Amino acid sequence: MGAKSSKPSKGFKRVDGDTFIVAFSPSEREVLLNLSGQLIEILAERVDVVDKDPLAEMVGITGHDSPPEDAVLLRLLPNAYADPVESAEFRRYTESTLRGKKREHAMQMRTHLVEEDESTISLSERGAQAWLGAMNDIRLALGVRLNVEDNSYDRFELLSPEDPMQAVFAVYVWLGWLQESLINSLMVSK
Amino acid sequence: MSSTEAQLDELTDASFFLDRPWVTIVWDDPINLMSYVTYVFMTLFSYSKERATQLMLQVHNEGRAVVSSGRREEMERDVARLHEFGLWATLARDDK
Repeated sequence: MGAKSSKPSKGFKRVDGDTFIVAFSPSEREVLLNLSGQLIEILAERVDVVDKDPLAEMVGITGHDSPPEDAVLLRLLPNAYADPVESAEFRRYTESTLRGKKREHAMQMRTHLVEEDESTISLSERGAQAWLGAMNDIRLALGVRLNVEDNSYDRFELLSPEDPMQAVFAVYVWLGWLQESLINSLMVSK
Repeated sequence: MSSTEAQLDELTDASFFLDRPWVTIVWDDPINLMSYVTYVFMTLFSYSKERATQLMLQVHNEGRAVVSSGRREEMERDVARLHEFGLWATLARDDK
């Protein structure tokens, strides 16, 4: 505690029942702030179509009924039906809420990363679940951009160390490990 | 939609007579962690670890699994929550 550690994170740990703690090195913090910022940015690209009907606005109808063209946004905000017409109807009523929740998770993650002065971040179970959602959304976004498939580990190992995609893949793998450590500590009580 | 329209919708819905439920389907994807998918099934549906793991493996090995069934509105709610967790889910009328 106290001074910020430059040691690599050991992952999440559950302490005293319902508290989850994690510590990051300054560069790990930087990566997480950067990626959560990018997640918020890409979600914001899908701006609500302003509906003049105040009731529609109140119940969260966005007017968006076509799926996003960007592959990352489509993975984060997927179709609910195979049928495009039914899918559009569902999207019109629900997409805004879904986007709001994903944004909220990423914002919470950023708040914890920025506000905690100590090297150790301490989270409630709700906070831990927000982190879990945000980390998963970031992995989904990275995975789509990296075109991750079941056998990707082999593909990325063959890349030259100078290939920038290898660094991105390393972050993707690290995030998977970090997420796994949180899942393990959340599952303890289950 | 007026309530009469909604009622008509309900009546003309084939499942009203056939009594076929709707199902929520989760599809395999190479990004979500197996442990995460299991955790989501346990958290959202209160499934036991055994049941959740079994469903996760079915998604992984067969490409898809039905994770819940019931009325259309209930399945829409399940799909929305699965999307919130980042799982790839759709709903459909049960084809059995």
